[in-house]
Amino acid sequence: MKRKNSKSVAATLTTATCALLGTTTTTPVNAQEEHAWEFDTALLYYGEGDSRVQDASVNLLAVRNFVDDRVLSLTLGVDSLTGATPIGAVPFDGPQTFTSPSGLRVKTRPANEIPLDDSFLDTRVAFSAGWQQPWGRLSSFNAGVSASKEYDYLHLGANFKLAHDFNKRNTTVSLGLAFSSDELDPVGGAPQALTSMLDVGDLSNRLGSQSKDVLDVVLGVSQIINRNLVVQLNYSYSSADGYLNDPYKIVSLVDPVSGDPVPRVPTPGVDGPSHEYLFEGRPDQRTKHSIYGQAKYYMNGKVLDASYRYMTDDWDVDSHTVDLRYRWPFSGQSYIEPHVRYYTQTHADFYRTSLDSSAPLPAYASADYRLGEFDAITVGVKYGRQLQSGNEWSARVEFYTSSGSVPADLLIGNQAGREIYPDLNAIIAQFSYSFGW
Amino acid sequence: MKKLIMIRRALIAMLLISLAGCSSMGVEPWERDVLAKDEMQLIADPLEVAIDEHIYFSKEASSGGRGFGGGGCGCN
Repeated sequence: MKRKNSKSVAATLTTATCALLGTTTTTPVNAQEEHAWEFDTALLYYGEGDSRVQDASVNLLAVRNFVDDRVLSLTLGVDSLTGATPIGAVPFDGPQTFTSPSGLRVKTRPANEIPLDDSFLDTRVAFSAGWQQPWGRLSSFNAGVSASKEYDYLHLGANFKLAHDFNKRNTTVSLGLAFSSDELDPVGGAPQALTSMLDVGDLSNRLGSQSKDVLDVVLGVSQIINRNLVVQLNYSYSSADGYLNDPYKIVSLVDPVSGDPVPRVPTPGVDGPSHEYLFEGRPDQRTKHSIYGQAKYYMNGKVLDASYRYMTDDWDVDSHTVDLRYRWPFSGQSYIEPHVRYYTQTHADFYRTSLDSSAPLPAYASADYRLGEFDAITVGVKYGRQLQSGNEWSARVEFYTSSGSVPADLLIGNQAGREIYPDLNAIIAQFSYSFGW
Repeated sequence: MKKLIMIRRALIAMLLISLAGCSSMGVEPWERDVLAKDEMQLIADPLEVAIDEHIYFSKEASSGGRGFGGGGCGCN
């Protein structure tokens, strides 16, 4: 929690001094009271350019500190999402018609544009609760639950963490475990992997609801180096099993020479796709490993926060993330914090921009741009101010931009001269207020 | 043989020096004034971290590292 109880500390010191001097304090007794609850609240706007995803959210973190270092944390977040997102089909110089995810209507997208699905509208509500308490003199135990609900998705999770201090509490080792069990109930039913997008009303290749389970293990060590420097090193293992496809993403079947989508004729009298598209198919298992290192360094009032993460998985995605924040206090109660983040990833081994219609189908294929090869940069700044009451507000604006490159061997025919990868530009704006109650 | 002993002595010396380095890391309880500041916590702003991780989880193929990467969203 960011809120400071400077007023309470001052009041306590005054009282203590007065007690030592044998005088009575004139400070009202209630000034010494600690707030039972501490709240962090945030309003967030996330908006992508080109009328893509827009998200407005309200977020709350409530922390209740009890005696003996026992802490209850509750979070609540409500997201409202609208906008359009790339569906995976390749653009070409003619219009393309797609059956909507519900299977009830068609939508035509213009020529020479990366096809988007704009039927995207969702509300997400996420809740979590955590309880922390000491376990013996040098250890602490943490247990929590989480749940989130979207129109087509339900997440339920539980997590546990044990931490142990030693070396005069300069070193802390921790072990965390999290298990999540998610259920997907896509609009129109989850499509069977690598089957065709069908005419309106034909839901014969749709399955019922699907599930996925994720197990996470995090091993961490944090070490205080000196009065101004603390470092953290984590190893994480994550294993996901079940339906890992994005049920709304497709891959174009293309002509082996031109690279253009293969035309298709819907059943007479029925609307349907103008070209051959297959629903994507990913493996039903994924194992990820990551190493995360962080250092916080205090430099005469300023704080440098630097972190690095390396991730690798058995889908052949390798990524590097570097994150730097520099908190710069000024005029007593205010600070400004510039932030830079760099991210780069390789593409998954089954990432394809399209599939050659003359070749046998591969076991797995996805044209999801998030499984492609890309770099992303975030640049932002935050301004924060502590009020006389001890409450604090802050505002931040960040720009997130990602730009991908498709390896030449994945491009077929005319695709080489076209913009196939959907680059992304987004703005993140957040207003936060922290207070005690 | 003499060379081996020298290498062994050098290794032991290095080990002792690095152990001494380890024991000099850290602070005494009364030197924690700076480290106790809110802005020096490893996760100084938990709500912002959660928001950012949700955004990047939705847009990138990586997640977690700092904490649990888990599921919890149909966006990826």
